[in-house]
Amino acid sequence: MGDKTDVWQGTLSLMVLRTLDSMGPQHGYGLARRIEQTSGDLLQLNYGTLYPALLKLEQEGFIRSSWGTSENNRKAKFYELTKAGHRQLKRAAAEWEQTTAILARFLTPAEEA
Amino acid sequence: MRQLRALIFRIRGLFHSRRSEAEFAAEVESHIALHTEDGVRSGLSKEEARRQALIRLGGAEQARQAHRERRTLPWLESLLRDLSYGLRTLAKHRGATAIAILSIGLGIGANATIFSMVSRFILRPPPVGDPSTLLSLKTTHDGDVCCNDFPLPVYKDVHDQTKSFSGIAAYDELIAASIGGSGDPERVWGQAVTANFFEVLQLPMVVGRGFASNEEDAAEIVLGAGLWQRRFNSDPTIAGKTVMLSGRLFTIIGVAPASFHSVDQILNTEFWVPLGNAPQLAPNLGDANSREMHWLAVVARLKPGVTRPQAAAELKTLAVRLAQTYSDTDKGSGFVVVQAGLLSPKDSGTMNLFLAALGIVVLLVLSIAGANVANLLFAQAAGRQRDMAVRLALGATRGRLQRQMLMESLLLGVGGGALGILLSLWSTRALSALHLPAPIPLNLTISVDWRVLLYSFVLSVICGLLFGVAPAWAASRPQLANALKGEDALARPGLRISLRNLLVIAQIAMSVVLLCITGLFLRSLESASGIDIGFRSQNLLIMSVDPRLHSYTPERTAAFLNQLRQRAAALPGVASAAITDFAPLSMGGRSDGFSVVGGPDTADAPTADLYMASPGLLETMGIPRIAGTDFSNETATEPKVAIVNQTFVERILHGKNPIGVVVSGGGVTYRIIGVAGNIKSRTLGEETRPVLYRSMVQNVGSDPSFLGYTVVVHTAGNPAAVEEAVRRQIHELDPSMAIFNEQTMEEHVHTAYFLPRLAASLFGTFGFIGLVLASVGLYGVMSYSVSRRTREIGIRMALGAQPGSVERLVLRQGLVLTLIAISLGWPAAWMLAKLASSFLYGIQPHDALTFSLVPPFLAVIALAACYIPARRAASVNPLQALRTE
Repeated sequence: MGDKTDVWQGTLSLMVLRTLDSMGPQHGYGLARRIEQTSGDLLQLNYGTLYPALLKLEQEGFIRSSWGTSENNRKAKFYELTKAGHRQLKRAAAEWEQTTAILARFLTPAEEA
Repeated sequence: MRQLRALIFRIRGLFHSRRSEAEFAAEVESHIALHTEDGVRSGLSKEEARRQALIRLGGAEQARQAHRERRTLPWLESLLRDLSYGLRTLAKHRGATAIAILSIGLGIGANATIFSMVSRFILRPPPVGDPSTLLSLKTTHDGDVCCNDFPLPVYKDVHDQTKSFSGIAAYDELIAASIGGSGDPERVWGQAVTANFFEVLQLPMVVGRGFASNEEDAAEIVLGAGLWQRRFNSDPTIAGKTVMLSGRLFTIIGVAPASFHSVDQILNTEFWVPLGNAPQLAPNLGDANSREMHWLAVVARLKPGVTRPQAAAELKTLAVRLAQTYSDTDKGSGFVVVQAGLLSPKDSGTMNLFLAALGIVVLLVLSIAGANVANLLFAQAAGRQRDMAVRLALGATRGRLQRQMLMESLLLGVGGGALGILLSLWSTRALSALHLPAPIPLNLTISVDWRVLLYSFVLSVICGLLFGVAPAWAASRPQLANALKGEDALARPGLRISLRNLLVIAQIAMSVVLLCITGLFLRSLESASGIDIGFRSQNLLIMSVDPRLHSYTPERTAAFLNQLRQRAAALPGVASAAITDFAPLSMGGRSDGFSVVGGPDTADAPTADLYMASPGLLETMGIPRIAGTDFSNETATEPKVAIVNQTFVERILHGKNPIGVVVSGGGVTYRIIGVAGNIKSRTLGEETRPVLYRSMVQNVGSDPSFLGYTVVVHTAGNPAAVEEAVRRQIHELDPSMAIFNEQTMEEHVHTAYFLPRLAASLFGTFGFIGLVLASVGLYGVMSYSVSRRTREIGIRMALGAQPGSVERLVLRQGLVLTLIAISLGWPAAWMLAKLASSFLYGIQPHDALTFSLVPPFLAVIALAACYIPARRAASVNPLQALRTE
């Protein structure tokens, strides 16, 4: 995974934003597991790369973090979307849909054209 | 925007690294714990679950590293680490650091001081709107390079007949006036300008307005900010009020900005009046409308889109046309165009030469200082070779080590630069306090402006890098095997002359050059102080007034001055008193070309300086009267009489008996009644000039002094003691009379030594600094060499060498370096000395004494610098020296 971080970072960020949007505040481990589950266990995250991605989103102001307690009473750092994060999610999702739609036209058999 | 926000967070991250580190460690810990719990729940053992968690995380340390790199800026962080490491290293070697910073500081300080002169006199544009399109026009005659002022009609022709300019203004550069306002009346200097002057300069007023186009003759005045502050308390409502100017009422209409003194930035003028007032304020102007009376400076504003060569070409065709129209007066005349506000081509040559000589000298000082720093860094590199070798062996790259070393030298450079700026703040203030003995107001203050700051900063960075690069390169290439064994790892096998020796040779060679130049200027000062000025400087008091500025008629002026002379002479403690126009050694004055009436017509009449004299002037000033009589009671209507000096007799009368001869100069004839001894008339360094003393009473009306009149009082005791009494006499005659230039003749003559003293003190200071720096360098190299050869010396002594012979060994080594350096530096100094020749008083640039004394002097200093290391070598204990390794 290491050599495609740029693309990966972009999609990972989108996954993080989307997951936080649907689940609400979540700690890093929970977030990672949730992303894996959503992908139908097709994705195997290197959890070490998740944290720099979270930090980047936080530096950009899309998410914020605070310490809290997990469901089984462990101290953990929870991440949640900011307003800017909501806007960014909408924007990035739309961009992504457009990209995949364009790509889909190239990849589907030519009969429709 | 988002990127910028992230960048700010990352820069902030640099400063909270420890806390963030701990926080992320906690987060990773909680992540592992959560993951482990999940694993245990799905049936793994606790250890296995934790192992799996760590695997999926990709390693706790790796995760922390990835997080850290995102949290901060890695390159900036490593730079900051180099910086703090550099600071720590420098702090550890406190002595060496102090010497290095002091060295560079002195070097940069010297350079900043000289550059502040360059900035002031060569680079600084005048404080007017858009200085790049403001030109200064001059007239030339018969293809001369430069240049003269404009006659009024010629200015009008240029004004009316050219199309290259959007505006052309003319002004009389210097007129004196007495001005009212708060306190005693004061004599001030100003300019008479055409009404469009401020408009052409694009100079907005601070208060009020400039002149309107229909106010060419109006009795209106614009004040300089200094004058406004000094005499009018910075009154913001001053526009519309009136003030007395030389006895006439003027309406104040505006105040010019504080930065503006004059277009040329040298004259310190403080008021401006419309040109129509010039004939009244300057009655000795002559025929203002003559095409031969050159009295106006001209500035012109280029039209947008017109280039300077285009304007010059248009003026050239105009000159041809004028020469045809006015063939009597304008034949051979031309125009030159220069950037306004810079020194005129006439003065800039001398100034550039002077600054170039100083510039070379201060760069030499800086190079000597820099060589010291390089030497220190070499010594430090030698002391750290083991450390470096270990780091290289552990995998640090050479580039990394070099970067770190360079950071240290850069810090030294910048630290030295900061010290240098502090020094130059002080030195520019000290230099600004010196003033020229000129009777006209000059503003020659220099200061550290942004150009100087920028120059010093760039210079100190270059210095740091340049002198750090060789030591950094050497230090990052230790011979690994030697270094780890604890042996000298920087010595390259087969290299006889080390870089450090080369450096010290260069240093000493440069100080030979410096010392020779310094010696020349000290000798010049010595020879200047031996110059016979031809009049007494002790027990004389001078004090000036200008009754003309108080609307006195010539008769009243003469009566006033006569009364003043008699009253002053009658004061207790006064031996005699006399009147002249201004004291000699004032850098300039009145002069005319003279020839004998009825004698052969010579093409170019030699010029003689003119001084006015009342009876008793020669006696009062201690100028010997060699033949003939003194002035007595001439009247204004009689034919004019004069006393001339010996050089006048030789040069103009070709040695024949002068008494009774009639000479003519400036359209006036004089009958010579006496001969006086020679004096230095304008400057100390001048070749003795012809001088003609004319009767004060006979010339007050026809050709009044532009600079006022000076009463010269010869006292029995301290002249300063009668100053108050003389002042009182003036004010008893006229309570409103403005008094200026009050000083003792000793003070006045002292300022005449301005140039030789300035040169000697500048070069002396720089020479001394260079010498000290070079001897510190030699000392450093020799001590280092002794410490490196301790074992060798130990073996020699163990084999029977005497302490004396060891001492000689070290001294000989230092002496060889010195001799090589002297043989390189001496010819260089010989060649450079020519540059200095025009600034020397009474000695040749290849002054035998200087050039024969410097080498042995330097050799003695070098021996002294080597003596301590030599003694240390001789006191090496062979047993200990052999045991240390």
